[in-house]
Amino acid sequence: MALVTLEGVGKTYRGRTGAWEAVRDFTLDLAEGEFFCLLGTSGCGKTTVLNMVAGFEQPTAGRILLDGRPVDRPGADRGVVFQGHDSLYDWLTALDNIAFGLRLRGMGRGERRAKAEHYLKMVGLTGQGAKHPSELSGGMKQRIQIARALANDPRILLMDEPFGALDAMTRAVLQGELSRIWAETRKTVLFITHDIEEAVALATRVGVMKRGPGGTLKAVIPIDLPFPRERTSDAFMAAFREVHALIHDEIHGAH
Amino acid sequence: MRTDRLAVVAGYVAGFALLFLIWHLAATLLVKSVLFPPPLPVLERAIVLIEDNILQEQIVASMRRILQGFLIGSAIGIPIGLAIGSFRIVRWLLEPWTEFFRFIPAVAMITVAVIWFGIGEESKVFLIAYTTVFVVIISTAAGVGAVGRDKIRAAQCLGASRLQVFALVALPATVPYILTGMRLAMANAFVTIVAAELVASNDGLGKLLWDARLFMQIEDIFVALVALGLLGFATDRVFRLLIRAFAGRFNATV
Ligand SMILES: Nc1ncnc2c1ncn2[C@@H]1O[C@H](COP(=O)(O)OP(=O)(O)OP(=O)(O)O)[C@@H](O)[C@H]1O
Ligand SMILES: [Mg+2]
Repeated sequence: MALVTLEGVGKTYRGRTGAWEAVRDFTLDLAEGEFFCLLGTSGCGKTTVLNMVAGFEQPTAGRILLDGRPVDRPGADRGVVFQGHDSLYDWLTALDNIAFGLRLRGMGRGERRAKAEHYLKMVGLTGQGAKHPSELSGGMKQRIQIARALANDPRILLMDEPFGALDAMTRAVLQGELSRIWAETRKTVLFITHDIEEAVALATRVGVMKRGPGGTLKAVIPIDLPFPRERTSDAFMAAFREVHALIHDEIHGAH
Repeated sequence: MRTDRLAVVAGYVAGFALLFLIWHLAATLLVKSVLFPPPLPVLERAIVLIEDNILQEQIVASMRRILQGFLIGSAIGIPIGLAIGSFRIVRWLLEPWTEFFRFIPAVAMITVAVIWFGIGEESKVFLIAYTTVFVVIISTAAGVGAVGRDKIRAAQCLGASRLQVFALVALPATVPYILTGMRLAMANAFVTIVAAELVASNDGLGKLLWDARLFMQIEDIFVALVALGLLGFATDRVFRLLIRAFAGRFNATV
């Protein structure tokens, strides 16, 4: 059975400017342990899909299941890494941020500290746990966000362009680290991006979205390349071209 | 860090020294009037007033009223501000109140306060509490409204209950706003206490000012003015330190 199921999911926003169908008839099964990249142009509805899976927003059509149960609100079984880093708590240290979910569950101080240290190490920030978010770089903040989500041991990790605001070099480093962490933990990931190379480097499957209104899944391409991925290899280039061809039509309006 | 702090302190000392120097020059070279004494006679007068324990008594009287009213006003204002920021119904109900009363300044309420509470402590404490409460309510409510959406969502998908979101996210995120409101309120409290003591009081810095005017003791007036400035400066420093401590680095909780 799929871990997450989206069945004919649709979302229509109604506001002052009238109704806007952001997502239409979106159907997808996410299997346990896969790394699924949702790729699409700006405004095609990627964030809307992720927000519905996270439970921040309700679908106006279809349904979303997690382990066969309908999703209707945010919960600890779905960890989210946000695009910006406003989601970190400025008044807590990096370590306390990572331990936040454990604290909510009433885990003892010593135990959650040890666990947080473990994840701090996993994201490569050993020794930096006492710093506050204001003392961390953008890349470090995203590492903390990832560690915070992982420390809570969710069933699935939802990531909305987590590296979108970083410079190209930091982004490449963090992509490598995320790939390594995923290989270690085999956590199911739904990862949103509009960067083709990022998708091909990270994903076991890439889903390409069609432009809105009524954004929906256009094609799903498995990327059967071994990890760690060699970005200059012919196989990587071939996969890149395949995805690029699909996205190209979206960017330039052909259907 | 260390040298920074030293530089700041040195800057303040130099700044104050300059202020007193300009005062001295203005009084001795420009104005040359008994109505504008230079700093030295004022200082001498201050020492006399301190030796006679008069200045301390007035300061204690004024500061006690300020602190009492300020604490009462904050204790009432913070929870109301939190409720207004958290629940739309409370906002709809109470916003007309706050928007109405905040335009009636405390000095305008002095007459009513004296009629209701007499010229004793109660009227002053009431006025300070009154001037504090609305400022604190408004900035606390604004703080709750300004908590980032992602901060709340992050807590929700880490498993936080509504109560946990409030206590562990909304509240700490609002603390800097609460402190900022209290800081503004403290400045208002100084205005209010002097006005209230000028109009009706048996002691306090405002009374000192009033008596000095009656008996044309010009140095006393300046002693009271300088004391107000220094007290206000010191209290404001305390708030700035608190705000900085909460705004980011120094506090840890796990
Ligand atoms: N709250 C909302 N109310 C009305 N319309 C919305 C709302 N949120 C999103 N939309 C619209 O839905 C569409 C999809 O938005 P969404 O944020 O999902 O796009 P996206 O694919 O994540 O884009 P990007 O890559 O730029 O983040 C857009 O046209 C947007 O204007
Ligand atoms: Mg988006």
